[in-house]
Amino acid sequence: MGDRIVRSMRLRRAAAGALLIVLMLSVAAPALAMSTSRITIDQKTGGLQTRFTYQATADEDAGVDRIDFLFPEGFDTEDVYVELTLLDGLKRIKADYEVEILESGAVSISFDPAVPAKSNLFIEVYDVITPIAGGTYEIPVEYEAVTTDDDTETRKDPGLTVTYATPPRQEALSRWLENQSLVRSWNSVKFLNIFFKPQHIVVAFPLLFKGWLKSLSLVLLAFPISIIGGLLIAFMKMAKIAPVRWIASVYINVIRGTPLFLQIFVVFIGFRTIGIRLPDFLSAVAVLSFNSSAYLAEIFRAGIQSISRGQFEAASSLGMTYWQAMQHVIIPQTVRRVLPTMTSEFILLFKDTALLAAVGIFELMMYSQNYVARNANLTAFTVAAIYYLIITIPLINLVGRLEARLAQSEGGSSAPPKGRHKRGVLLGSGAAAPEGAPAPGLGPAVGSGPQVDFDHSAAKHESR
Amino acid sequence: MADAIVRIKDLHKAFGSLEVLKGVDMDVQRGEVVVILGPSGSGKSTLLRCVNRLEEPTGGEIWFEDVQVNSPKTNINEVRERIGMVFQSFNLFPHLTAKGNVMLAQRKVMKRDKAEAERIAVEQLTRVGLADRVDYFPAQLSGGQQQRVAIARALAMDPHVMLFDEVTSALDPELVRGVLDVMKELAKAGMTMLVVTHEMGFARDVATRAVFMDGGVIVEEGSPAEVFDHPQHERTKDFLGHIS
Repeated sequence: MGDRIVRSMRLRRAAAGALLIVLMLSVAAPALAMSTSRITIDQKTGGLQTRFTYQATADEDAGVDRIDFLFPEGFDTEDVYVELTLLDGLKRIKADYEVEILESGAVSISFDPAVPAKSNLFIEVYDVITPIAGGTYEIPVEYEAVTTDDDTETRKDPGLTVTYATPPRQEALSRWLENQSLVRSWNSVKFLNIFFKPQHIVVAFPLLFKGWLKSLSLVLLAFPISIIGGLLIAFMKMAKIAPVRWIASVYINVIRGTPLFLQIFVVFIGFRTIGIRLPDFLSAVAVLSFNSSAYLAEIFRAGIQSISRGQFEAASSLGMTYWQAMQHVIIPQTVRRVLPTMTSEFILLFKDTALLAAVGIFELMMYSQNYVARNANLTAFTVAAIYYLIITIPLINLVGRLEARLAQSEGGSSAPPKGRHKRGVLLGSGAAAPEGAPAPGLGPAVGSGPQVDFDHSAAKHESR
Repeated sequence: MADAIVRIKDLHKAFGSLEVLKGVDMDVQRGEVVVILGPSGSGKSTLLRCVNRLEEPTGGEIWFEDVQVNSPKTNINEVRERIGMVFQSFNLFPHLTAKGNVMLAQRKVMKRDKAEAERIAVEQLTRVGLADRVDYFPAQLSGGQQQRVAIARALAMDPHVMLFDEVTSALDPELVRGVLDVMKELAKAGMTMLVVTHEMGFARDVATRAVFMDGGVIVEEGSPAEVFDHPQHERTKDFLGHIS
């Protein structure tokens, strides 16, 4: 049993070897001269360590005792090494050779004994560093041919070129950084190397930008939808008809009572299973909206109910309808009150877009994860963090300022309009006193304190 | 009785099992200033709030001009447009300036155009002595000033009746005067007013009728002089003795 497996593996390896040989033969098929040879490189962009592969067939009339690869100016061959395969027909021939790297950068391979005429040559020159600038470079190849009468002459294998592109600017920069001594010493500190490697910073920043835009567009689409949804659910929760209130309650409790992570899987996998198939981006917007609507609904409801009943009564006593009162009196005040909490919710939602990486949405987190996986370095996480912070820090500041402004305006301590004389005695807007409570002369105003009964922390929710 | 603007017949109001009004009858003639007195919990504020149906009566009838206020067929918003109300806690809209407060319902309910609403707002604010405060926000005004804005806001709707629900109770004593002065002016100009108050001086000077309530019923009513100087009922005497 085990024997058989080993044998079959051997067979397969042999088959692969044969295939390689056939391929080489087919490339060099016409077998006229070395001039039918070719050079290929592994990398598509410049500025990288790469392998040069040279394939050729020796001339019919002469063996070869030396091949020189005359790499042009700009190619770095300092650390190259060479591997070589020599075939006579289908038979592999043992080749003894020496590699010399000349002052000029040329790589010279000498054979002893000389490679017989008509042999197939397969030479790999590893770790050549190409110039960054892309284009087509001619790699002149010269060889010393040994004719049958033991004469030697230098022949050329002209017209061999390699072509590659200039790398994107950030990669060029990254490769340039690679060689700076300052960068090297920076990277010698393990922590800096792992989290703040300059070579990765310059590449990851432009790369992750796309993910950042995706995250941002997800939240910028989902949040307005959530505001509408949240208002709707908030009004449902305050409806006169009990079943409507129940529906809203169930929705709010289920969404707030389960992790967003689970909701994402339900939408992405569950919906698909029952045949609802939306584009991934739309599914992502949908699940974020579903989630945020529930939180916003509670924020709005708390906000609306924090507006004193007197406001509604005053509007009603002036003949305004329920919706007029809502639109012109209650909602504008609610907006001011819930703005800080809403902004916090926006921040949470923006950060939560990261969870969508789990279902393959290419947002910021996904980009950084991929980058980290590819490069075995955590710098992309740092870059992602910076991208998140670019949005969240200013908003966190804004929340603070909004809260301060709210406290000030509701506390009634704001300054009078510009250019006007000072206000007189000042009292906060009075809170409603129970009917007939104070008898005259029993003391000062009942409502001398500010009327801020909306507890922001009540509407906030822990991170989820 | 033909000219009665508000007619209340056997009005009952209960909050759950708590009966606050136990059968109140009252007619208010055009131009009358009726002051309603009574101890805490006597139902006087509830009575007032039933007139524009901020509280839904549980029994009896309320008529305003030729409309039954507590009939389901009545468009209550149309009725409320003509009944001004001022609250103990001012209830100004804090997100609007004094002028904005006075303009809002004119624009949205009466559909006055902006220029006219603004003109009337400034006119009414001037009338209550706040010509120089039109662009102030409520939070920048004293309690007395806020209450006067609230009065201007109600007056701008050209109400036929004004309801005042303990409008000076939330004010510092030194601010009460300005509000009462405005109300006096209003009474002098012939406005029909229902006033729940503890301001005896005001009641004596301005009211055409004083009504004393206790336990959800009217105990005694008459001219202020009669009620204050010669109360007939023990409860009235008791109450007046306590507060003066």
